[in-house]
Amino acid sequence: MKILIIIPAYNEEGSIVRVIRDINKHAPEADIVVVNDGSTDRTEALALEAGAHVLTMPFNVGIGGGMQTGYMYARNNGYDVAIQMDADGQHPAEELPKLIAKASDHDLVIGSRFVEATSYRSSSARRVGIIFFSKLVTLVTRQKFTDTTSGFRAAGRKVINLYSNYYPMDYPEVESIVYLKRRGCKITEVSTEMRSRETGKSSITPIKSVYYMIKVTLSVLMSAVRYDKPKAGEIG
Amino acid sequence: MTIYFLSVILSFLFLAIVLELVRHQKLKEQYSLLWILFGVLLFIISLNVRFIETIASWLGVKYAPAMLFLFGLLFCFAFILHLTLVVTKLSNQVLRLTQELTIRKEKESRHGQDD
Repeated sequence: MKILIIIPAYNEEGSIVRVIRDINKHAPEADIVVVNDGSTDRTEALALEAGAHVLTMPFNVGIGGGMQTGYMYARNNGYDVAIQMDADGQHPAEELPKLIAKASDHDLVIGSRFVEATSYRSSSARRVGIIFFSKLVTLVTRQKFTDTTSGFRAAGRKVINLYSNYYPMDYPEVESIVYLKRRGCKITEVSTEMRSRETGKSSITPIKSVYYMIKVTLSVLMSAVRYDKPKAGEIG
Repeated sequence: MTIYFLSVILSFLFLAIVLELVRHQKLKEQYSLLWILFGVLLFIISLNVRFIETIASWLGVKYAPAMLFLFGLLFCFAFILHLTLVVTKLSNQVLRLTQELTIRKEKESRHGQDD
């Protein structure tokens, strides 16, 4: 089984090396590709030095576009499983085997902080958002989800192809689940630990959070009523 | 100089500018069609004020210029919507190009190392 780990990174020189080393320690069979989304620091050089492949976008295209580039890379190079992981060290590499184990009989495996009690703690505003989206996605897809905003995921071949064709551009996590469910993918959650971030700060500032809530809600609802008709030039 | 005369000149100028932009390939034909249509309508209306008043009375609009404003506004909305459609399509295409380029560049640099 060919496994690729996709790490989208924007100015993550402080943590990227450690993330790559951890992966090499806990999942040595996996290849690593860092999607360097127009960083202005030494992310690219450090990632190359640590032994990862690096896709450097010529300018910042945002998380969705960067992540999709990783999936396109996985598709082009014939990977069976693509795992997305944050560059800031939030997602512990120790949990990778859990995701990989489930990936063989599921199209998408989501690492969830809330399937079982984990040590993860967050602000109450953040928690309200997480619960709201989990309830919304559960309602729309009729499958129970506990952590729809989690960016710690393993995707099989079917999902790698689907994500290469379409991936939401900003705040993609929640909508991308509904998109897959509409195309009959088998999705499951596994309980994973997550650390609070080591360096850098969340991409979601208080000002943006209102836009985030409205945009993602609209995307989820639109995704739920969108007819499943592949556009010309897409591979199903 | 009355407002009628002025509006005839303005609408004529508007049409001329649009056509000139197309001639210099600053404006694509497909996007110019709506503007040309708009310019011609403007020209007709400014030539003959009766025209507007007749239509207003058909529609039961008491104050004819209000109808002008309404249609002008609707036209603007439609055109802006059209523009955002174009922007969406363009940004999708630019993103796809960027991604393909990035992947190709990485492949090239890797092959460069192997040789």
